[in-house]
Amino acid sequence: MKVSCLQENLARGLSIVARAVAPRSTLPVLGNVLLSTDEGRLRLSATNLELGITCWIGAKVEEDGATTVPARTFVDLVNTLPNDRVDMTLTVRTQTLNVRCGAFNNDIKCIDAQEFPPMPPVDLEETLSLNVEYLREMIGQVVFAASSDDARPVLTGVLVGVEDGRLTMAAADGFRLSVRESHLSTPGVGPLQAIIPARALSELARVLGDGEEVVTVSLPPGRGQVIFRARDVEVVSQLIDGTFPDYKGIIPNNYSTRTVVSTAAFLKACKAADIFAREAAHAARLQITPGGELEPGALQVSATAAETGSNETVVDATVEGEPIEIAFNVRFLVDVLGVIDTPNVALETSTPSSPGVIRPVGRDDFLHVIMPMHLGR
Amino acid sequence: MPKRKTILHVDLDAFFCSVECLLNPELRGKPFVVGGRPEERGVVASASYEARAHGIHSAMPTAQALRCFPGLIVLPSRHEVYQERSRRVMDLLRAVAPLVEQLSIDEAFLDVSDDAAPGQEVAARLQREIMRRFGMPTSWGVASNKLVAKIATQVGKPEGLIIVPQGEEAAFLAPLPVEMLWGVGPKTRERLQSLGVHTIGDLARQPVAHLRKLFGLRGVELAARARGVDERPLVTTREPRSMSAETTFSRDETDGVRLERVLRRLSERVGRRLRRAGLAGHTVRVKVRWPDFETHTRQTRLEQPVDQDEELFLAARTLFLSVWRPGRPVRLVGVAVADLCEPLRQLSLFDRSWEQEARLQRALDQLRARYGTNIVRRGFDRQERKSPPAPLQDAQEND
Repeated sequence: MKVSCLQENLARGLSIVARAVAPRSTLPVLGNVLLSTDEGRLRLSATNLELGITCWIGAKVEEDGATTVPARTFVDLVNTLPNDRVDMTLTVRTQTLNVRCGAFNNDIKCIDAQEFPPMPPVDLEETLSLNVEYLREMIGQVVFAASSDDARPVLTGVLVGVEDGRLTMAAADGFRLSVRESHLSTPGVGPLQAIIPARALSELARVLGDGEEVVTVSLPPGRGQVIFRARDVEVVSQLIDGTFPDYKGIIPNNYSTRTVVSTAAFLKACKAADIFAREAAHAARLQITPGGELEPGALQVSATAAETGSNETVVDATVEGEPIEIAFNVRFLVDVLGVIDTPNVALETSTPSSPGVIRPVGRDDFLHVIMPMHLGR
Repeated sequence: MPKRKTILHVDLDAFFCSVECLLNPELRGKPFVVGGRPEERGVVASASYEARAHGIHSAMPTAQALRCFPGLIVLPSRHEVYQERSRRVMDLLRAVAPLVEQLSIDEAFLDVSDDAAPGQEVAARLQREIMRRFGMPTSWGVASNKLVAKIATQVGKPEGLIIVPQGEEAAFLAPLPVEMLWGVGPKTRERLQSLGVHTIGDLARQPVAHLRKLFGLRGVELAARARGVDERPLVTTREPRSMSAETTFSRDETDGVRLERVLRRLSERVGRRLRRAGLAGHTVRVKVRWPDFETHTRQTRLEQPVDQDEELFLAARTLFLSVWRPGRPVRLVGVAVADLCEPLRQLSLFDRSWEQEARLQRALDQLRARYGTNIVRRGFDRQERKSPPAPLQDAQEND
């Protein structure tokens, strides 16, 4: 293999794939990045067997070939090199990669590319294609609600479903649920369902560059994998086996109080409350008071910590229904308010121990359910 | 230079015995103890000064105390009564001194640095006042810090009042045995004695570097204490850090079903106290002692704080079963909840069983508050009523 590329491109490519490297695996080759020539481009791949990321960068290929380079050494080295042309030559017999850039000359010991796990075939049947910008937004609105606790593996995933020309993503960690829907431009797909690890979707949203417009999704039958492909990147993830809880059953279908407030003001109030609430399991109290004839309704967010002190912020609100006092983990509120882009948001509540629902006002493609906190007796 | 401080330390002399004497004046002048019954492996909680004359002291097994003096009167402990008497004294102290740190049921520090009257006057006045109002003897230590004040009290007991003027701390401590210092337990004492260090003065003469080499940072602290230096302020709000209940079996218990029942009762006991105090805890701890006194503790940290009996019991049972093998005799079991905090509970979307259990718990608590503890019991506890359960001992740790 003999190939040249720009240091800048190589560094960017490595930063994209490095997150899938498994540095402490019992399989040493998983700590390496696969480097191979691919139709006039240079392909970089890394996998931890659950998640695999590939990216292609522009290169001048003089001689085809492939090897795997220890990720840590390679990343650190490339980040030190000057922004100049990098020439790489592999000595196949010794699996030594010579990396030369300006005055820098390095030899890195590699592992044969044959040992690297096989990547998905090129000729996959595409299941659907999605607009990158939409997909990124959808992922951002649900992944944070997935669980990070491996005790219930299905909850560490996002349920992705396609039915009747709509794509739905849902994630729940047992305390909150985020559901986002989107219309598909390619009708006639599905119905299908898969639980994709939230981590894989987060990485996907991260690696889809601004230059990308369309990403194709493949769910080859019987492989237990999902493959996302864009022009310059590919993300492969194992699917999570199991049954996702029936989330539709836990979305309340009525409420006794509906509170509409400015999203930004509510978010600010919650962030202020969390400064105090972080010592008290992040519990914040929401006191909702309907308005009278002359004064507006109010949403008061407050938090108390024995050591730090206390805080309360009043946000003007349009309140329809009964007054209520309810407590939430304020970080859950901060998370969801941070991914809503409409100026106003509605909070629907029934009792202090039944789930609250948050919806962007003016959009019906997103909803978030949060279980309240119980404050002593 | 920091402002000169005046710290008083007060100890209610042989407190439990002194309360018993008030309630039954016939006990006056007699050797008696308050504590557990010898046949139930009880220990002495408090000994009258007459009993102490026979070598009896607290924490001694009651059976052994009876061997020291066969005519010894043994009274059962009445904790609520002592608690109530203690509260009255502590209330008086709080009314007089701006800063009071209550160390235990019968001990407190007072910071009277800002009082116009000298420390010894305040102490003498309070000593008279407590005797006049409550009929209880107290011992007092007056010094510039907590360490020296507490040791002064110990030196003057009973009914003492010892003043250690500023600047004379080291000289006062020098002749005292080294184990009177905080932090010198039997092991440290042994090590120190092997170095020829017997008195606090001996310790004060040791170069700090030498002590540091032997005991690490603790050595540096020991050196400071031996010179009578202690700059800790009073801690006026002492939140309990854990709540626990334990029981010693009158006969070693080997039966799994009975052990489980005791664990449940201990869990209920701790749960009830937590809820009454409006607290919950993240850590559940189980203590098991074998007949040879070897003691094991196991603990687990729960994602959400616990204050419900059932949840607490399930965690305690799992911990117990991780140390106990069927048939192994057990001398003592205890259940504790630590890392106390407000009982904040994040409710679950998918599993509403906690809320049901909490409602049941609330109903049970209300019934018991109105009609007594035994008005409702678990179905499988009913047969147990014929043989009365072993007494449980509460503990509340502050350190």
